[in-house]
Amino acid sequence: MAQTFPPSPEIESPDKWEAQMRKGCLEMAVLASLWHGRLYGLEILRVLERDSSLVLAEGTIYPILNRLRTDGLVQSQWVEAEAGHPRKYYLLTLAGRERVTRMAETWTQFSAGLGNLIDPVLRDRNMEQPK
Amino acid sequence: MTSESQANDYLARLHAALTGMTVSEREDIVEEIRMHIRERLSDPQCSLDSVLAGLGPADELAQQYRTGLLVQRAQNSRSPFVILRAALRWATTGIEGFIVFTIALIGYATGVCFLLLALMKPFFPANAGLWVGPDQFAFNFRMGATMTNPNPPVHEVLGWWLIPVCLVIGSLSLVLTTKLIQFLFRRFRWKLPFAAATPTRPAMMAL
Repeated sequence: MAQTFPPSPEIESPDKWEAQMRKGCLEMAVLASLWHGRLYGLEILRVLERDSSLVLAEGTIYPILNRLRTDGLVQSQWVEAEAGHPRKYYLLTLAGRERVTRMAETWTQFSAGLGNLIDPVLRDRNMEQPK
Repeated sequence: MTSESQANDYLARLHAALTGMTVSEREDIVEEIRMHIRERLSDPQCSLDSVLAGLGPADELAQQYRTGLLVQRAQNSRSPFVILRAALRWATTGIEGFIVFTIALIGYATGVCFLLLALMKPFFPANAGLWVGPDQFAFNFRMGATMTNPNPPVHEVLGWWLIPVCLVIGSLSLVLTTKLIQFLFRRFRWKLPFAAATPTRPAMMAL
């Protein structure tokens, strides 16, 4: 007989593990958002939200971009925009492209391997859901 | 307070809190945040209060910049002071940081003690030494009982060799502590507080 589990409050609210997992992939997500070309801070936030459902506090993205810039993974440039005020654009450096490529390869291998392991968990869980 | 003066006040507090950076770095950061506020306010449905709430308090925003810079400097620095400062900042965020800071403190204190013992040997040759006896094996500085008159049967065994031995052990302690803490910074970088964030709105994947 399949074991059933009572709903856990940890499932309903993001716990520490989940927050740390997301934090761990934040650098990759920001670098990946710049893969197709330069973007400014607010655009990066919108791309992350649109393409990956990652919603960052607005004050979070700029210190991360600043650190990536001083790490040499992105470079920045002020550009006079049509909006009437300048914007600070970020673009990947060669080192940044190499870093995000390696990260993407690692992530894909890791998630594929883990997927094999957790597929039965989700499948059995779905079968137990009341109809 | 008008919207403009409220925004200027926020930016002035941010500028003041960005300590430890060059003037051009500070101005670049403040200018970027100023343009962010202006860009967001170009949406008529967006209020200044909501934009500033999204950015978080100026002090906390500056702290994220400072922490990122501090940790990065610590990763590339050989200065125990820079590394200890970064470890101390990490220690304020949780138990892991506290453990790392404690390791750094013990490692550096050990190194400094050995170096001090080596420096004291020429001035106090009878007091500084490696003292051996029943239940005792210790590098230290002994007052009272001396090399020529130890509490029997405790005696000093290294003589002048204490200086090179302590110099080597002290230097190794400093270098290995630095390497270990820098390794921990790289290893657990994603746990460091510069990525800490507060969700601005409810969302499944809010960070």
